[in-house]
Amino acid sequence: MEAKPSTANLVDKIVVPGDVVLDLSSMTNQTIKLGGGLRQECDSVSVIKAGKLRFSKPNKYWVESSQKRYVPCVEDTVLGIVVDCKADNFFVDIRGPTIAFLPVLAFEGGTRRNIPKFEIGSLLYVRVVKANPGMNPELSCTDASGKAAEFGLLKDGYMFETSTGLSRMLLSSPTCPVLEELGKQLSFEIAVGLNGRVNAESPSTVVLVSNAIMNSESLSAVQQKIMVDKLLQRIK
Amino acid sequence: MEVDRADGRNPNQLRPLACSCSILHRAHGSASWSQGDTKVLAAVYGPKAGTKKNENPEKASIEVIWKPRTGQIGKPEKEYEIILKRTLQSICILTINPNTTTSVIIQVVHDDGALLPCAINAACAALVDAGIPMKHLAVAICCCSAESGYCILDPTKLEEQKMKGFAYLVFPNSILSVLPEGSSLVQGEPMEHGIITSVTHGAMSVDDYFHCLERGRAASAKLSDFLRRSLQSKLPGDLSKAE
Repeated sequence: MEAKPSTANLVDKIVVPGDVVLDLSSMTNQTIKLGGGLRQECDSVSVIKAGKLRFSKPNKYWVESSQKRYVPCVEDTVLGIVVDCKADNFFVDIRGPTIAFLPVLAFEGGTRRNIPKFEIGSLLYVRVVKANPGMNPELSCTDASGKAAEFGLLKDGYMFETSTGLSRMLLSSPTCPVLEELGKQLSFEIAVGLNGRVNAESPSTVVLVSNAIMNSESLSAVQQKIMVDKLLQRIK
Repeated sequence: MEVDRADGRNPNQLRPLACSCSILHRAHGSASWSQGDTKVLAAVYGPKAGTKKNENPEKASIEVIWKPRTGQIGKPEKEYEIILKRTLQSICILTINPNTTTSVIIQVVHDDGALLPCAINAACAALVDAGIPMKHLAVAICCCSAESGYCILDPTKLEEQKMKGFAYLVFPNSILSVLPEGSSLVQGEPMEHGIITSVTHGAMSVDDYFHCLERGRAASAKLSDFLRRSLQSKLPGDLSKAE
């Protein structure tokens, strides 16, 4: 069996389900916020998803991992596909455990008289408003103050699906290397959803952009630059 | 007592292990696990909305489909499906996504003994790959006991057929913990000393069975280390983004 040092700190290490990462009995009078991948069991906090344990001051712990399915969280912006229209809600698939509802009035200036008509299969850029366990998540096409703010239907472009880790990398700041390199030579627009869907739009190079993004998942920054250079050589 | 195994291993030695994750493009989680020549591929899809009729809608349900290498699906495959389903239900946290179904599909690539433990290990690695919430991991091992009472681990198919009886044992994995030693004991023993599943075939005495349990438990520590290492190499290192 392995030796367990009594003050082992597992932050920034890879953990697997079952590992106990925090001992709450030694941390009384503190408020600790637990993010995804962690669960409290009486006096200890244990891991339920494999990944890297992260800590952000002053008191946030979470497990960072990348999956092909999405766990809905409030205030996430995602790309959804309409699968059905009912009287009160659109049913939208956001790659989570359950179908999400988009109320027909959740648009800027939405009233019963100007309900938008989305065909089945249309791609929407939406925000998650409610995500309670066991219930279907609720979406909205407005931001918190009621303005449209670029939410809504995405008409043109090519949508492809990746993992949640890659979409977080694309949305990180400073800009991730693959987007920076592509942006130096090409002009394109992408809409990234935290559920792993990316919609790329470009006048003539959409396949190159999408291949570059899909290939960049497991590469380091330098490797991403080299990969993009090689792809761009081909179209010169 | 010295025992001659056909491939020259000693009684406590396992066959070479290999595990790779995320090998199937469309499945939400996948893994292939091989022990020597026995190789199994597992794919996980889900969680998807809705449960079957006989399932409890207040919990997530797990559905297992076992595909043999050749031939029709018959009773042995159904039995494996039931055993695997019960094992996976006890390691997954079923209350997190109620009213959903997670499908686990096992494809046998080659069977050279210890097939069910290999499938359980592959299914566990595939569930981790898919991000299904779990209480802990499971490691499975096969122990046989022979006429004269000695027991050997991880038999090949020929060895399995010659033995008096064999047992498939599934243990929880060994965990890293920041708690001081001895504080997280369940009824006086650390959690790793528990057992999740035990399936026996043939006849063996009670003492032989307990002997197999001890050997299996000791070997499960090695399997658990191997599983942890193969999951570490699969998870992406950080890309040095400013976080």
